[in-house]
Amino acid sequence: MFYIHQNTCISPQQTFLQNLPQTVQPVQEDQLRAIEPGYEGIPPGVLRRMGKASRMGIGAALPLLKQEGIKPDGFILGTANGGMEDAIKFLKQIVEYDEGVLTPGNFVQSTPNAIAGQLGLFSKNTGYNITHVHGALSFENAVLDADMLLNEFPAKNYLLGGVDEISSFNYNIDCLAGWYRKNVHTEADFYAGNSEGAVAGEGAAMFLVGKNPAGAVAQVKAVSMLHSSDPDTVSQHMATFLHKYLPPGETIDTLLSGENGDTRFARYYKDCEAALNGDPTILRFKHLSGEYATATATAVWLAAGMLQTQRVPQHMIKKAGTISACKNLLIYNQHKNLQHSWMLLSAV
Amino acid sequence: MGIISAIGNTVAENRIALLEGRCGIVYQSQIPSKYADSLPFGEIKLSDEALKTKLDVTEPGTTRTSLLALHAFNEAVQNSGLSDHTLWQSDTALIGASTVGGMCRTDELFADANSPEAATEYLGSYDYASPILYLQKRYDMQGIINTINTACSSSANAIMMGARLIKSGLAKRAIVGGADSLAKFTINGFNALHILSPEICTPFDAGRRGLNLGEGAAFLVLEREEDALHKKIYASIAGYGNSSDSYHASSLSDNGEGPFLAMQSALETASLLPAAIDFINAHGTGTENNDLVESIAMQRLFQQPPPFASTKGNTGHTLGAAGAIEAVFSILNLHGQELFPALQFKNTIPETGLQPQNSYQQTAIEHVMSNSFGFGGNCTSLIFSKA
Repeated sequence: MFYIHQNTCISPQQTFLQNLPQTVQPVQEDQLRAIEPGYEGIPPGVLRRMGKASRMGIGAALPLLKQEGIKPDGFILGTANGGMEDAIKFLKQIVEYDEGVLTPGNFVQSTPNAIAGQLGLFSKNTGYNITHVHGALSFENAVLDADMLLNEFPAKNYLLGGVDEISSFNYNIDCLAGWYRKNVHTEADFYAGNSEGAVAGEGAAMFLVGKNPAGAVAQVKAVSMLHSSDPDTVSQHMATFLHKYLPPGETIDTLLSGENGDTRFARYYKDCEAALNGDPTILRFKHLSGEYATATATAVWLAAGMLQTQRVPQHMIKKAGTISACKNLLIYNQHKNLQHSWMLLSAV
Repeated sequence: MGIISAIGNTVAENRIALLEGRCGIVYQSQIPSKYADSLPFGEIKLSDEALKTKLDVTEPGTTRTSLLALHAFNEAVQNSGLSDHTLWQSDTALIGASTVGGMCRTDELFADANSPEAATEYLGSYDYASPILYLQKRYDMQGIINTINTACSSSANAIMMGARLIKSGLAKRAIVGGADSLAKFTINGFNALHILSPEICTPFDAGRRGLNLGEGAAFLVLEREEDALHKKIYASIAGYGNSSDSYHASSLSDNGEGPFLAMQSALETASLLPAAIDFINAHGTGTENNDLVESIAMQRLFQQPPPFASTKGNTGHTLGAAGAIEAVFSILNLHGQELFPALQFKNTIPETGLQPQNSYQQTAIEHVMSNSFGFGGNCTSLIFSKA
C-alpha cells in the first residue's frame, strides 16, 4: 500500500508531538477526554469559533503542514460525526428561537467536511479533498482512498487522518443505546470483562503518506473491512485477508486488538487472537484512546510508533509472545457488532 | 439508474418532467418546519407512511432519508438486472452520500441528545452513514461499503469513488449515489446563511435571490465495460475531478479556482479538450455567489461555454443527493440525445452574459459535464460519455 512518513496524534494521553505514552491517564467521569494542546498556529479568533473535532483535527495536522518543503497533494479524512457538538448547538438554537433568526456559525462548523475544508483553506491547498463519514469504517475508507490515489499517482503525498469528538449529546445518545458504561476507574476495570458497554473516547491522528520507503516510519500493507454480525463470517473474512496479504512463511508477531471490555462482543477479539499462529504478542489500545468510531486512527499512530522504535509500552501488553521483534502488526477492530476492520502494518 | 425527486418517483417520470419543463418546487409543503408555508421547497409528495408501505419497510427507526435511498436503490438495481446474489458478493461495492443522514429526525435527535432516559425509535439512526447502513443490512451486502460527506458535492464524490474502485480492481461493480431529505436542521442552517430564496429559484438569472432546498435520492449501477457488454448501457463515466477551492467555509472564490480546477481535472482524466463537452449540467444553485462564480469559471475554462443549465430549477437543491440526481439527468441527456430547458430564467448575469439552454432540443451530444460544488470548498466535476 504505502508508507507513513510523519504522524501526529491528539488523544486522551500525552501523545501530541510525543513518543508512545509510558503512563496512562485515568478515566474521568466515565470518559477519556483528549488532552488538547495550545494549538499554536491557529489564530485565536478562528480557534474560538471551532468545535472540538475541528480543533483536534486541524491542531494535529498543522505540525505536519508547516515544515519546509512539505505540501501534500490532498487531504483525506475520516470522521463519523464531525462537529456533532455544533450540530446539536444549532438544534438548540432552532428550538430556543423557534426557527427564528439564528446565527449560522454552528451550522457551518457542524458539517463533517469542515475539517478537511479548513485544512485546505489554511494551507492554501487546492488539491484532492474528501471526507469519509462511514461510521467506524470512516478512517479505513480514507486509508483505502489514499491507497488508490497513490497507486495511480506514486509520486504524490497525501495527508490522511481520522478524528472524532465526544460531544455531550452523542455521548447521551450512545449511553441511551447502551454503548457506554459507568463506574470505570482503573485499567483493571477497563478490561474486566464483566459488563456491557465501553468507555467513551476521542482524538485525532494524522499521517503524511506516500510511496517512497526512504525515511518512512512504518508501512501500511493492507486494509480490509466487513459489515457482519456473524462471528463465523468475520473469522472467515480474516483468514482470507491474512492469506492474501501476509507474505508466505511469515506470521503476525503483534496483534493490536480493539478489545474494549464490552462482554457482548468479546468473542470477536477472542476469535481473532485464536486464529493467529506462532504465539504473537497481544496488545490493547482502547484504555488509551477510549471507544469511538475513528479510534483505529489512533491505533495506527501507536502501531507506527512501535514498529519504528521496536518498543512496546508495558501497559498495552495483554499477553507477551515468543517473538520479541515487531515486524508484522495486525490491527483488528469491531464496532457496534457490525463494522469490522483489519489493517496490516510492517516495520520498514 | 434509479431516482426519486420532486419531479417524479422514477427515471421515466423525471425525464418527462424535464422534457415538459416542469418545476417540482412548491409552497405549502408538508415538511415539519414553520417555513413550510412561507418558503418554497422541492418536496417529494410521498409521505413516510406511504413510502414504508410501498417499500415494505417495517423496521422501527427507519428515517425518510433511508426510505428515499431505498426507493432509488431498488429502481437502480431492478433496472440494471442485478440479482440479489450479486448484491451480496464481496466484489459489489456500495458507495453512498448524505449530508443530513438520520438527522432529518431533527426533533427526535434533540430529544435523544438531552433526555436522561426516554429514547425514541431513531436512537441508532442519526449517523450520516445510516441510510447506507440501512441498505447494507437490508441486502446483506458484503463488499466495500462507504458513505461520503463533502456537503453539496457528496454524491458526485461517491460516483467518483465507485468509478475508482472499479478502475483499481477493488470492485467489479459499484452501486453509487446519495440521498437527503428535507429537514428542519438544514432548512434553518441555509436560512441563517441568508441564501434561501423566498421565491422559486432562478438559476443563472440576473435577479436570482437564492436557492430552494429539495429532497431526493438517486443511485447508479456502475460495471466494468467487459461485464456490461450484453447489457443495456446508458453511458460511460469518462472523467472526474476533485479540487478544493480553499477560499471560504461557505462561499466560492471570486475567480472560481476550485470549480475551474475540478472541471479541468475531469477533462484531464477523460483525455478530452474543453471543446469536446457538448453540455454542462451546472451546479447552478441560484445563489448570488455560486452562479456568478460558476459562470466565471466556465468562461475561464471554455472561453465560449457549451450549452448549459441547472436542473435545480426543477428539483430544488437536494444537497447530498444532488450530484447523483444530476448524474442521472446528464445521462438522460446522452441517452435521449436531448437537452432540457432551464426554468425560471429571464435575464443574463451582467458580469458574464451567459444564457442557459432555453428550450427542449434534440441534438447530437457525446460528452456531458456535471458540476457539484459544496461548502468547505469541495468541488467535483464528472464527465459522462455516450455509450
